[in-house]
Amino acid sequence: MNDDRLLTCERLVESLDDYLDDQLDARTRDAVDAHLAGCPACPGLVADVRAIRRTAHALGPVEPPAHVWTELQSRLPLVADVTPSLLGRLGLSFSGWRMLQPLGAVASLVLVVSSLAWVGTRLAVAPIPVAGSGALAEFQVAEAEYTDAIARLQEAADAAGPRLDALTNATLRSSIDDIDSAIGDAREALMREPGDALSQESLLDALGSKVALLQDTVTLAGDIGPGTEVQNP
Amino acid sequence: MRADEDLELARRCREGDAAAFETVYRAHAGRLFGLLTRMTGSAHDAEDLLQDVFVQAHRKLALFRGDSSLGTWLYRLAVNLCLDHLRGKHSRMARSTDSLDAEDAAEPAAAAPALPEAISRIDLERAIAQLPAGCRAAFVLHDVEGLDHREVGEALGISEGTSKSQVHKARMKLRALLRGVPRGALEAV
Repeated sequence: MNDDRLLTCERLVESLDDYLDDQLDARTRDAVDAHLAGCPACPGLVADVRAIRRTAHALGPVEPPAHVWTELQSRLPLVADVTPSLLGRLGLSFSGWRMLQPLGAVASLVLVVSSLAWVGTRLAVAPIPVAGSGALAEFQVAEAEYTDAIARLQEAADAAGPRLDALTNATLRSSIDDIDSAIGDAREALMREPGDALSQESLLDALGSKVALLQDTVTLAGDIGPGTEVQNP
Repeated sequence: MRADEDLELARRCREGDAAAFETVYRAHAGRLFGLLTRMTGSAHDAEDLLQDVFVQAHRKLALFRGDSSLGTWLYRLAVNLCLDHLRGKHSRMARSTDSLDAEDAAEPAAAAPALPEAISRIDLERAIAQLPAGCRAAFVLHDVEGLDHREVGEALGISEGTSKSQVHKARMKLRALLRGVPRGALEAV
């Protein structure tokens, strides 16, 4: 049977990507070449797709507008204080938090809520893994740092709570409940698969969010004075 | 050695070194912003996502161990965040790819003037932004970012065959978009 030589335009379209990727067997490739030699339309298609692929491959970086970095910087100090390596520093002194304005705390609360939505999504989808195997010990250290910071902050936050207005207090409590739920979900997932990098990240995200929210609770209540500084054990 | 430089930068960032974090941002923001802009089809969304990527990166640097380069680590973070964003925006990637199947059932080779050999990158960027989300993501990851179909499938949660199909449909749609609009005119869209 010699039907390859009777290749239609439609069949060429179907084979086009494999043809351009040199994935066709020799017989089919010869048939495509034969069709291209006699077809008035298909050579243009092949040339166009080649040009699209070539141009797409050459598309380079796109520099973001300058305001992106400016806005990002305004978000980073809030986040910096919840990274594990800085938690030790946080335990030494809360003086840096005196500089936080209520507006910053509200921004942080928005960030926490956004993070929670993100954590929930991450638990539900199959992402590209960020951390590989062998990170268990490092994860456990980070988790311990977060947990320790939460324990130390919880007392100050509990004392600060009554000083807040009812609506703010209720919002913060609701957010803490959501975070605790996310922490519970992540821990449950880790019970099933302790080495799962996604669950580890999700738990650290949620713990970090809780640290940030507890700190904001204290900040909002204006309860950050020398007498309330948290000291390292 | 690059890996050592990345680890050192990550360490400095974790310790609150703002200059180190800016170095990381300046080195990688352009590539990530290009990826995010093309994946979302919206510079505005890409700006928000880029910030989210670096905020998350700042928080997650404790987990960076140098198994891959910092650029690859950030890239994966950006892809994951972007896909979460697209899923939230379009409910499910599968739905958008399904609708695309119905939309572009067949694309025969028509006898019309071919595209210029050198397509304007700006026109192509504009045309990519007009693609449906499902095939746009597959096209960007495959034809722009250079992932193979297996990797595209894993990233998007679709089969390798569906990735091939979506990339093919994207190319055909791009061709139609680019041929249907006078050279340079897409810039005004």
